Amino acid sequence: MNFWFTVFRQAGRNLRQTWASQLMTFLTVSLSVLIFAFFSLVYTNMLGAGSRLNEDLRLVVYLDEEPGPEMQEQLRRKIKKFDDVEEIRFISRIDAYYRFADQLGKDSDVLNDIPEDFLPASIEIIPMKSLRGYNQVKLFSEYLASLPGTEKVQYGQEWVERFYYFTKLLTIVVMLSGMLLILTAVFMVAYTIRLTIMNRQDELELLKLVGATNSYIRTPFLLEGILQGFMGSIIGMSALYALFRWISFHFTGPGLLNLFQFNFFPPIVILGIIFSSICLCSYGSYTSIQKFLKM
Amino acid sequence: MIEMIKVGRSYLPDIQALTDISFAVATGEMFFLIGRSGAGKTTLLKLICNMETPTNGLIEVAGYNINKLKGKKLAFLRQKIGVAYQDFKLLSDRTVAENIAISMEVSYKKPQAINQRVRDLLDQLQLVNKHDTLTCELSRGEQQRVTLARSVANSPRLILVDEPTGNLDASTTERVMELLTRSNKAGATIVIATHDESIYRGSNKRVMELRDGKIHSLARSNH
Ligand SMILES: Nc1ncnc2c1ncn2[C@@H]1O[C@H](COP(=O)(O)OP(=O)(O)OP(=O)(O)O)[C@@H](O)[C@H]1O
Ligand SMILES: [Mg+2]
Repeated sequence: MNFWFTVFRQAGRNLRQTWASQLMTFLTVSLSVLIFAFFSLVYTNMLGAGSRLNEDLRLVVYLDEEPGPEMQEQLRRKIKKFDDVEEIRFISRIDAYYRFADQLGKDSDVLNDIPEDFLPASIEIIPMKSLRGYNQVKLFSEYLASLPGTEKVQYGQEWVERFYYFTKLLTIVVMLSGMLLILTAVFMVAYTIRLTIMNRQDELELLKLVGATNSYIRTPFLLEGILQGFMGSIIGMSALYALFRWISFHFTGPGLLNLFQFNFFPPIVILGIIFSSICLCSYGSYTSIQKFLKM
Repeated sequence: MIEMIKVGRSYLPDIQALTDISFAVATGEMFFLIGRSGAGKTTLLKLICNMETPTNGLIEVAGYNINKLKGKKLAFLRQKIGVAYQDFKLLSDRTVAENIAISMEVSYKKPQAINQRVRDLLDQLQLVNKHDTLTCELSRGEQQRVTLARSVANSPRLILVDEPTGNLDASTTERVMELLTRSNKAGATIVIATHDESIYRGSNKRVMELRDGKIHSLARSNH
């Protein structure tokens, strides 16, 4: 009881004496939490969108001529030779024509003068879930392209490729911003605490002389670190949430964001970020105070 | 309470502040340490409370080899030792009351108890109206008494006092000695380093004189 009373009073004194640098640290921590959380949020949403795209990933092999039943069987065997697949569907020229007409709907009369076999026959292949890595899909498509009678293989290469490299880039950005968060949280906090310690060297020395235990001296500073981490992450996350709401509000409607289904972090991730921020900041303050206590 | 055997302390380059000091102070004793300026009195007190380490020799306080103590044990022992430093070591940006309270706060005394004790001490040392004054605004004599109050506040078992009356007039000196005598009667062992002959003359206490870092004499002052 008295322990916490003294600890809180001491922490209050520290805050009062170095509030300017405390504020700076607090802002820096919030900002780095914001940056890190922002990129993580984009990243996780990207991954979500990626897996959704993957869901309806299909490869379309355009054939130069309509395969007969014999040929279909042969192709089926060839395809399965590379890897088992979820489904193989043969689309004849006629099927393709009616599909296209379906898609056109009302405007389908533009097709009236066009022969029903103007579209090529094709095979739609839905690969197994295990074959969803970008490189494997690429290999598979190359394999399909090498089959006799294939004209072209399509699976939205460019789009998939771009998406793939974008997520790669984002991984790096997330890692960098995570590092930034660690650096600022640990070093800025360590620095401010060191400043406080230097400011109050006389008092801390005297405390040692009159028999203050290390935990008596240490706890207020740890508390400060915890407070920095807690406040910093709360503010950072709130700012991100506000930003998220703003974006969702201004960019709703049919478009890119609907495709992505932009989601905020689940509570467990939010807690995780707050917790890590607290840990990092208290670690920063711990190193500083420990350095002093060892003297 | 205090046991010193062949203790020496030297400073670089070749200052021999103390040499071959052996003596013991019994529990409950009031012990005087005298000697010219530079004789080594302050150094001796610093050795007893582990502010300095001896170059050689053994120092035991309350049965502990104080130089071997670390961490919690050292902290707890120090809570039982009150020291009034010659250079005061007051926190100049804190009030008188806060300065005195420090020694009690570190052993987690109740705030009401601390308050009561602080007022009590200020009353005994005629500083009641200085309760909320910053210590940097006090005269040296007042600062000296605040230091003394801080050293006795937590009712330590051992009180080390360095030059407690250097800046005080006769009647205030008497008050200071009254306070120390009361602590002594309550069971505290007290070591006082002083130039002021008046405070030990005729007291029948043991007085040890240092000269150039050596024990020159150790006898009762009965005249
Ligand atoms: N940190 C130090 N470094 C070097 N020399 C020191 C140090 N501390 C004390 N001394 C030397 O040790 C000797 C004893 O000093 P000390 O302070 O113990 O004297 P004192 O008896 O307390 O004197 P005074 O009555 O003036 O307070 C002095 O010669 C002093 O110069
Ligand atoms: Mg001295």
